[in-house]
Amino acid sequence: MSYALVVSEVRRGIFEERNLDSIGLCTHLGKDAILIIPEGEYGIKEQLVNSIVKVKVEEAVFLNPLNMVNILEKVVADRGKPDMIVFTNSSSGTELASYAAGYFDLPIITDVNSCDKDQGIFYKSYYSDKIFGEFRPIGNGTAIVTVRSGSFKDFAADKDVAPSVGTMEDVAVSSARTFMEFVEEEKSDVDITKAEFLLSLGRGVGNKDEVSDYEELAGMLKAVIAGSRPVIDKLWLPKARQVGTSGKTVKPKVYLAMGVSGAFQHVAGMKDSDCIIAVNKDAEAPIFQYAHYGIIADMHKVRDKLKDILKG
Amino acid sequence: MNIIVFTKRVPATQEEELRIIGEGSAVDLSKVPFKVNDWDNYSVEEAVRIVEKSGGAVTAVSVGDAESDEVLRRAIAMGAKDGFLVESGDIVHDPNARATLIQNFLKKENVPFDAIFTGVQSEDDQFASLGGILAAKMRLPFVSMVIGIDSFEKDHAVVRRELEGGLQERVKVMLPCVMSIQTGINEPRYVSIMGIRKASKVERKIFKSADYQENVTAKIEVARWIYPPKKAGATILSGELESACKELIGILKEKGVYQ
Ligand SMILES: Cc1cc2nc3c(=O)[nH]c(=O)nc-3n(C[C@H](O)[C@H](O)[C@H](O)COP(=O)(O)OP(=O)(O)OC[C@H]3O[C@@H](n4cnc5c(N)ncnc54)[C@H](O)[C@@H]3O)c2cc1C
Ligand SMILES: Nc1ncnc2c1ncn2[C@@H]1O[C@H](COP(=O)(O)O)[C@@H](O)[C@H]1O
Repeated sequence: MSYALVVSEVRRGIFEERNLDSIGLCTHLGKDAILIIPEGEYGIKEQLVNSIVKVKVEEAVFLNPLNMVNILEKVVADRGKPDMIVFTNSSSGTELASYAAGYFDLPIITDVNSCDKDQGIFYKSYYSDKIFGEFRPIGNGTAIVTVRSGSFKDFAADKDVAPSVGTMEDVAVSSARTFMEFVEEEKSDVDITKAEFLLSLGRGVGNKDEVSDYEELAGMLKAVIAGSRPVIDKLWLPKARQVGTSGKTVKPKVYLAMGVSGAFQHVAGMKDSDCIIAVNKDAEAPIFQYAHYGIIADMHKVRDKLKDILKG
Repeated sequence: MNIIVFTKRVPATQEEELRIIGEGSAVDLSKVPFKVNDWDNYSVEEAVRIVEKSGGAVTAVSVGDAESDEVLRRAIAMGAKDGFLVESGDIVHDPNARATLIQNFLKKENVPFDAIFTGVQSEDDQFASLGGILAAKMRLPFVSMVIGIDSFEKDHAVVRRELEGGLQERVKVMLPCVMSIQTGINEPRYVSIMGIRKASKVERKIFKSADYQENVTAKIEVARWIYPPKKAGATILSGELESACKELIGILKEKGVYQ
């Protein structure tokens, strides 16, 4: 049987929304989807897939690449080789996918954001979304893909019949890597998710010394300062200010992004803002694709000019 | 502790206009400046810190053309003992083929290690796959997105993996293992021009990728490079900076976030 295997990403009892993109890709390609998921109450819409395999292991065991290869091996022994194995393009999704690709010696295409089903082509971003590559697995075996969140979820649709549900027991569990505990982010007194107006600084800010001038501008505008990951990594702003997949998801009335290129991990955290304004000196920066308004200029000049006008 | 750390030379494309040439067969990078992959900078730093504490040596490895020597010199300036260049003329767009090449190289040259560090992803291809594939091929345990190393003992390490939305998980992993290192794990030390010049005096070894080709076959192919489909995009506030900025303030007032 030709089918696609969808590896669910579940965490702390939640079936992550981005799994719908994995399922949607299968629907789009017209492939029967078998979903594998740890046994538990996830409240998923089962009708979205053709078949479900509930694996009798804890979440942390399931999401461990050293165990996932054993689970995949058992599914394939039962059901035959899938056309593809689909993972989310997340921290755990890419970890599981890359390890499975190496273990089973399979082609892998990560961060797929669209596809051409007639030509069997998967589109993958290069150079922070400035170029796309049309990728194709070589040969007719199983291919592994990870799917960018938001790309295919609209294709996910109910099947005519309820899925068959099976369980898997006796999964071999590795002791070479074990989960210990979750570590929560430290509490902070600012909550950028509550702000109506965010002034967000990207790597384009250049160096730490410039930041205080933007804080001054934010003060004049009554905006709250946020930033992209590189600015937080360099400790120019505290972690609580980070926007993006590994930071906060924000939805302010206005998101003013200065010197941010618009990588998807950043965009995922701010694309639903009411109004996005981007300032970037590169007219080709992907952020202009998501912004409502843009200024193509040196951000420092824009900052100084804004200050002049506001003072005046 | 002996740590092998991978470091890649990548094009700095953020401020460049990229052109596709040859009817989609290539992206013209001839005028683009190159630099060390951001993720690898953090990973070299992390490896050097561990070795500074526990003894042993860091070996930096890069796969690429002769120019990649630059990132090896940089790694040596940061504290790596050796720099190995696996010279390969053509860039392999398949992380699977690259991992097989690396696996063959490590085996044949018998490079000793307790851990192998890669970056989470290459800035150019964003595959975020090499570490995982290599680990699985070598049947070693793997941890990706490492954002903190709490302890590094003889036979195991306790590390924190970054998940989404600020959440992390702490895991224990047996050594030897492969880890992919996330940016922000540390503050990479500053490397001066003087430091790099001094590092140039340390001999780097060059290996030919032709010697490690067993089973190196691409499993994926690029049919074509294209420009991403354009959406409507932003309304550009053009004209003099003064008027653009005034327009911007007008928008803020209209949206009710500034009076
Ligand atoms: C697992 C994972 C999780 C991640 N999580 C996040 C996350 O939560 N949040 C996040 O932001 N990123 C995240 N990233 C990183 C992300 O991939 C990008 O690397 C990052 O968003 C880039 O930040 P940036 O736009 O500030 O920098 P760059 O991409 O370097 O862009 C800088 C921009 O500034 C412009 N510029 C430079 N100088 C000036 C100037 N003087 N005036 C105007 N413009 C100028 C340039 O043209 C460029 O467009 C994550 C990556 C991974 C792999
Ligand atoms: N050509 C290369 N030379 C050295 N290291 C590499 C190379 N390609 C990938 N890597 C390593 O693998 C990591 C992940 O790369 P990728 O899977 O291509 O996103 C990078 O951060 C590097 O540490």
